[in-house]
Amino acid sequence: MLLKGKRILVTGASRGIGEATARLFAEQGASLMLSARSENVEALAEELNGASEAGIYALAGDISDEDYAKRLVMASRKQLGGLDGLVNNAGILEQGLVGMIQLESVRRMLEVNLVAMINLTQFSLRLMKEGSPAIVNVTSIAGTHGIEGISAYCASKAAVIGFTKSLAKEVAPSGVRVNAVAPGFIDTQMARQLDDEWFQERVESVRMKRIGTPLDVANLSLYLCSDLSTYVTGQTIGVDGGMQV
Amino acid sequence: MNQDTLVACFAENLGIESAMVVDSLAYQSISEWDSVGHMALVAGLEEAFDIMLDTDDIIDMSSVAKAKEILGKHDITF
Repeated sequence: MLLKGKRILVTGASRGIGEATARLFAEQGASLMLSARSENVEALAEELNGASEAGIYALAGDISDEDYAKRLVMASRKQLGGLDGLVNNAGILEQGLVGMIQLESVRRMLEVNLVAMINLTQFSLRLMKEGSPAIVNVTSIAGTHGIEGISAYCASKAAVIGFTKSLAKEVAPSGVRVNAVAPGFIDTQMARQLDDEWFQERVESVRMKRIGTPLDVANLSLYLCSDLSTYVTGQTIGVDGGMQV
Repeated sequence: MNQDTLVACFAENLGIESAMVVDSLAYQSISEWDSVGHMALVAGLEEAFDIMLDTDDIIDMSSVAKAKEILGKHDITF
């Protein structure tokens, strides 16, 4: 078990990459605090608790609500006794050509994908005191390379990479590692909400000729949160089946 | 009780004698209370009093007296 004894907070855990991460981390022995807007996350915690020796807890709420973020970290301290890891996975995608997207939509994506991530990280860092704590920020191939039609989303994800690199430098002396994972085209509800034509184009651009699975991404987060990667920090690693090489 | 907890937090997290923890003790007035010590102190206070401080309050916590005032917002009295 690669995460036995580790206490990890996972956001956006009710579906897609976040849910796969929660399931994999529970299998690998981690104690978890799960967060998502949907109350489904509490049912997931209950289900995982039945199969895990470690404690699995959940608190539903909107991660862009500062008060909720604070309560989430307090619950992590109370239920888990501290944190050894944070997976900042929660995010939203709203499609729109740059000339057609409303500023309200741009602000919403920046608020959830970036500002809420920074806020939660500020609180969580104060619970990371021992061992080799790890923060994994979920960015996107959209942030590393840009994709037409979702430029505001790309901007928010590129900002996550800047935050990851800066934070990695800032907290390295304290022993905290910070890395980003950059999924390519992954079979999630978020991807399925896109136009059919756009969806097909993306699938055809994958050199491995298959869409990725949420587990493909969760496996990388597992490595980055485990002690297999104690000398890895400040990196952005793609999980994209060769879309970008 | 709260006073004892506060003094213990400052002493333990800054690595100073309890006798040094008086209201007038100010941030960066001693080498132990630098920015690194400040973050350890904040984490210690949060754990001891079971609270989470706002970032504005962390920046504003410029002395022991100010720390008491900020903790007062969380219904912690001295």
